[in-house]
Amino acid sequence: MQTVDNQYFHQYLPGVEVRLDSASLETYGRDWTHLRAPAPSAVLFPRNTSQVQEIILRARQDGFALVPSGGRTGLSGGAVAADGEWVISLEKMRSLGTVNPTEACIQVEAGVITATLQQAASAAGLFYGVDFASAGSSQVGGNIATNAGGIRVLRYGLTREQVLGMTAVTGAGEVLELNHALIKNATGYDLRHLLIGSEGTLAIITAATLKLWPRPPLRDVMLLAVPDDQAIMALFASARQAMNLSAFEFFSQACVEHVCAHAGLPAPLESPTAFYALLEFDQLDETGLTEWFEQAMEAGWISDGLISQSDEQAKQMWAYRERISESIAARKPYKNDIAVRVSAVPALLAELDELVQQQYPDFEVLWYGHIGDGNLHLNVLKPDEMDLNAFKAQCEQVNELVFAVVQKHSGSISAEHGVGLLKQPWLAYSRSEAEIALMRALKQQFDPDGILNPGKLL
Amino acid sequence: MKVLVFIKRVVDYNVRVKVRPDGSGVDTDGVKMSINPFDEIALEEALRMREAGQADEVIVVSAGTSDCQQQLRTGLAMGADRAIQIDTDKPLQPLTAARAFQALVEQQQPGVVLLGKQAIDDDNNQTGQMLAALWGRPQATNAAKIELSGDTARVTREVDAGLEVLDIDLPAVITTDLRLNTPRFVKLPDIMKAKKKPLDVVALDGLVSDAGNDLKIGNWSPPPQRGKGIMVDDVAGLVTELKSRGLL
Repeated sequence: MQTVDNQYFHQYLPGVEVRLDSASLETYGRDWTHLRAPAPSAVLFPRNTSQVQEIILRARQDGFALVPSGGRTGLSGGAVAADGEWVISLEKMRSLGTVNPTEACIQVEAGVITATLQQAASAAGLFYGVDFASAGSSQVGGNIATNAGGIRVLRYGLTREQVLGMTAVTGAGEVLELNHALIKNATGYDLRHLLIGSEGTLAIITAATLKLWPRPPLRDVMLLAVPDDQAIMALFASARQAMNLSAFEFFSQACVEHVCAHAGLPAPLESPTAFYALLEFDQLDETGLTEWFEQAMEAGWISDGLISQSDEQAKQMWAYRERISESIAARKPYKNDIAVRVSAVPALLAELDELVQQQYPDFEVLWYGHIGDGNLHLNVLKPDEMDLNAFKAQCEQVNELVFAVVQKHSGSISAEHGVGLLKQPWLAYSRSEAEIALMRALKQQFDPDGILNPGKLL
Repeated sequence: MKVLVFIKRVVDYNVRVKVRPDGSGVDTDGVKMSINPFDEIALEEALRMREAGQADEVIVVSAGTSDCQQQLRTGLAMGADRAIQIDTDKPLQPLTAARAFQALVEQQQPGVVLLGKQAIDDDNNQTGQMLAALWGRPQATNAAKIELSGDTARVTREVDAGLEVLDIDLPAVITTDLRLNTPRFVKLPDIMKAKKKPLDVVALDGLVSDAGNDLKIGNWSPPPQRGKGIMVDDVAGLVTELKSRGLL
């Protein structure tokens, strides 16, 4: 392997911006996991698809590994570069096409920030369906490579459902134009869907055409007190019949307490409750709403509830859900992001609750999640006095037990955070041997030298 | 003591307003409407006065078409005892609103009149002051803190130089600023209770014989679009560019 310096890049990749300083290497070599010490050998900033292709061909020739990099808000170490790789940052590729009102879509380059895309859609009177807490930093390419979900999957689906077309460069250096933004295209394997969620292991996505939705109707938010988590599915079933839901979120009292302490917010309700459900829905006439509420109260599913009277209040209620993650960040939480079929959630909750009480008697454990999607975030907080490595080791032991429960319910060990480095050892809990063998074979076809994001996913 | 609170229905603070293409006004079709945030703070303060035993009735009032009953219902759900809609289909200018409010104030004889320091739609910041002058009673504007004791109120205002503290005799008009309090959420059971609370409708003409709503707005237009930026190569280039435009 050659050593790389400015001279090298000048000679072989003229025109590509390169940074070799230690601050850049550190910044671009890590994501939100801080899982391993970043140690890439260079950070490259291509400006277009052909520069991405040049970089891949050069890396192939000289035997360098590549780590594609978007907003680096990932939670599974998918964008970590810790072994002398070249980081390919897509952040200089952020041109935003104009909204096509006839087809209700927009073409964007991979480095466009999710929030910028959302704003462009609303300025044109349309709506981009995917949203999550890191929308202000995450980038479209990363969203596609991880098939990002977020808070409105219930209504609009995952990022997968938004991608009409895609440009990508494979690990072999071939440029692919996939699906050409067609709605109907029954001509065999849809490689677009293979690349969505592939975590940068098959190809580097450089641009995409994304679907836009009609501007949503006026929406309200309810925050409900749920005394017993076993009632949550009855509540969900009844709510989705009574109203047009765009989000159905679930979190525990402990989560709310962390948010209040961290953000200086008042308690949302006069008296604490075991759990909360946050519902976002298309505005409903008052009679329909109050009838539903009375029925839910009588059934004992809920004991109290708030309803937003303005978008400001809707935002304030969302804050109790959206700020959970940041409010516990300082406690170095061990995160598990699991999913089962929606109807299996109560059983999963009960079994995991028992397991957690047995295995983590001294740890604080928080539950929250997109329960309408069957997705739960299980966070274990590190006790202040405990050593980080000892804490991680203990969490990983319990992981096996947690994932065995998930496997029993044919669930997913990573619902929307991806596999990356963090979940890679446990892939077999969600995927069969035959599936993994096929995944490896596909990887070999797309990336014969194994230079794209090595060590991640597979 | 009665507390009278005036609230206005406005385009929600989080909505990016759009001017209608024909320049006849702001587009409110399918747009979220809410209580003017400063008025919501005024209502919250009134409810706290009642909860502290300093007031025994909170009356919430709004002027407009029957649409504004939605905001009055919100006020009732927050905890107001009763509501009055001043029925009119015309947008009111501050002086007309103040005249109508004065007539209502003289009927109801409140000890304190609370309203937001301004409405976020027209940003006039006039109605409270005009109402106090017409009524011939003291006023304290932009309140950041209100302490009642007997027949007086001590009102703290945030001004450029620091805090200004006013002692005023009641009855008086107090307009509320952003940091006075954080309004409460509305509880779902209270929406049902609010349906049973009285909401009276009075015609604007019944309160003021000459509405004096004479100001005509000719045209609305959005602010000019920001021009496209240019990229300069370095600091020297930036300085040259600024100088060439006479900006430095």
